[in-house]
Amino acid sequence: MIKLNKKFYMLVSMALLMIIVGCSNSSGGSDKLKIGAQTYSEPKIIAEMYKALIEESTDISVDIVADLAASPIVIQSMNKGDVQMATLYSGEIFNGYFEIEETKDRQEVLKQAQQGFDETFGFKWFDSFGFENTYAFTVRQELADQYGLEKVSDLKEYADTLKIGVDTTWLERDNDGYRAFQDHYGIKFNETFPMEISLVYQAVADQEVDVVLAYTTDPGIKEFNLKTLEDDMQFFPPYDASPVIRKDMLEKHPELEGIISKLVGKIDVQTMASLNYEVDVNKRSPKEVAIEFLKAEGLMSNES
Amino acid sequence: MPFTNSISQFYQFLLERYPDILVATREHVTIAIVAVLLSTLVAVPVGIYLAKNRAKWLHSTVFSIANLFQTIPSLALLAILLPIVGIGTKPAIIALFLYALLPILRNTLAGFQSVDQSVIEAARGMGYSAAQRLFKIQLPLAFPYIMSGLRMTTVYIISWTTLAALIGAGGLGQLIVSGIGVNRKELIFAGAIAAILLTLLTDQLLGLIERKMFKRAKSA
Amino acid sequence: MMLKTNGFIALFEYISDNASTLLNLTIEHVIMVLLGLALALVVGVPLGIISSKNEKLASVILSAANILQVIPSLALLALLMMFLGLGFKTIVVGLFCYSLLPIIRNTYVGLKEMDANLNEAGRGLGMNKWQLLMKVQLPLSLPFIMAGVRVAAVIAIGVATLAPLIGGDGLGREIYAGLNMRNELKIYAGAIPAACLAILTDVLLGRLQNRMKSKQSRQKVETQQGAGVSVSN
Repeated sequence: MIKLNKKFYMLVSMALLMIIVGCSNSSGGSDKLKIGAQTYSEPKIIAEMYKALIEESTDISVDIVADLAASPIVIQSMNKGDVQMATLYSGEIFNGYFEIEETKDRQEVLKQAQQGFDETFGFKWFDSFGFENTYAFTVRQELADQYGLEKVSDLKEYADTLKIGVDTTWLERDNDGYRAFQDHYGIKFNETFPMEISLVYQAVADQEVDVVLAYTTDPGIKEFNLKTLEDDMQFFPPYDASPVIRKDMLEKHPELEGIISKLVGKIDVQTMASLNYEVDVNKRSPKEVAIEFLKAEGLMSNES
Repeated sequence: MPFTNSISQFYQFLLERYPDILVATREHVTIAIVAVLLSTLVAVPVGIYLAKNRAKWLHSTVFSIANLFQTIPSLALLAILLPIVGIGTKPAIIALFLYALLPILRNTLAGFQSVDQSVIEAARGMGYSAAQRLFKIQLPLAFPYIMSGLRMTTVYIISWTTLAALIGAGGLGQLIVSGIGVNRKELIFAGAIAAILLTLLTDQLLGLIERKMFKRAKSA
Repeated sequence: MMLKTNGFIALFEYISDNASTLLNLTIEHVIMVLLGLALALVVGVPLGIISSKNEKLASVILSAANILQVIPSLALLALLMMFLGLGFKTIVVGLFCYSLLPIIRNTYVGLKEMDANLNEAGRGLGMNKWQLLMKVQLPLSLPFIMAGVRVAAVIAIGVATLAPLIGGDGLGREIYAGLNMRNELKIYAGAIPAACLAILTDVLLGRLQNRMKSKQSRQKVETQQGAGVSVSN
């Protein structure tokens, strides 16, 4: 019986030890940078680019926290300090974080983002990478041919027979979501299917949906032979992509400013789309694709 | 948190959005019920068969397979089915069907094994055929056990159906996931509370039915 | 996305290429689960002991734990996230919640199932309540508690796969990344190890449980012989 007693105490002390170890595990070191990334490949690739650049030229170790449900979550995490850096899109200003002036002008929207997020959250919102990733209505090519669809307005006639696949948030978004869309275009679809953005392409391939609200730089558009309809009534706001970082992180590590600026204005729409293609369609890892890009652009030495 | 303020906010939200919540609930319940029904259709006959055929290898094989499905993490099972079956309600129903197998099977078997042999002998003596024995004696007597298993299983399935949202099948999980996505607490709350209430309600309802069954079985 | 037979080879290659990442994810997964289990043990076993001594408290404690158990995992994690934020800590709390019921209930049952003779034997040996608990009752309930840990572990491994949704790590990250990047290999590379982890845990803890059971029957005999009480069955 004495033996079993010892075992029991051992179990208890192991349990307590694990709790202590676990608690210390979660407290981060001071030279760590966490980059948050949404669920699709684009911000993940960019995060990998920054990880490579930062780790190459500084002592900071970078962790990427990927698959955060959506941009608002990324912003919330940055605000809490759970992550310090991310790729965000200028159209975020319409999600009610601060007072804004209604405008669809790209420059204006970017300026408001830079100002607003600085004042409200203490983030530095850099200038754009050089590309925009906004929402785009796409349909199966056969459907477009069948109904002669060129613009979003063309959908109006057929909308009550169409099924649309969208990401998990579009139905809920205030400013550029479904409700606002219905007001703006006067179009209501027969059925709406919210799901993870990557699954919508499967859905349209299986013909479970007819229309897909895709992201403009997503390779799924090309891969699944979808036709993009022109946003003729200018519903969607601009969504220029920029790196964003907490100002206190910049103050602690001023060298980051130069490193982050290296990618500003360096990535255009075609480039980003093809990088996304490499990951999503050719199944390469974001890290590999990111490093290949950096080397090709001469932003990183070729030895590593 | 100005608590009373947030409660009234939440109430407002519910008033606005209750049609969506109802739709989500309907999707949710549909998936769960179909999965449980399919699982019952398979697990009960198998359970009955196992009660007759006591071969050890048979029992342990069947139970190992059923146990396997129970043990695999739900997200993993859904994810494994996705490339094979596609997205939407189909993989969700299949995954949930597999989950429900073990508990229903186990309870069916326990139910049948609990029937007193002497009762069966008596029935045989009275000239009951195998089918009559099954339907008039064994099933009614085993029913309380089966019902108990069904109750527990249904509750768990309704709980797990929230994950169906991750693969585009809708349901109350969708409210939670979109709520997380747009960072709207009321949505998360509404989805979570609705799912919890649904689960608890189902538990209570089926518990009531189960108790009635037990009463009837006792008098039989 | 159709599965091809040469997919097995591709999967094998993928896993071997990414072995260190996958191993890291597995370790993170295991740490989250172990921590949740450990917390549940520290809180659950005492609650189980209390329940076995006091029937009224027992029904309260068990019902509360039961309600917690039945809450859909996604819902609980989302609610916890609203109050505790994203990440590791929140997930461990969630895992702790789901591990409670099996452990409390099994501790309770284990103690209740205690053969009254053994309690008599212990008291006959001059033990007070505390010694009775620590030297006789708890050790003999270990197989039951072990059964609870086993059930809790399997559940926790499953719930932990949802961690990425609220900023955590673990094998769920690979599954989720695979879903988001439309990469079947990633999905399987995450899902299959997660499934294996659960199955392995179930089997290993099952063996441990059986070993404890056979030890228990020996202990029973020793205790009774020690107090000069005849072994009654």
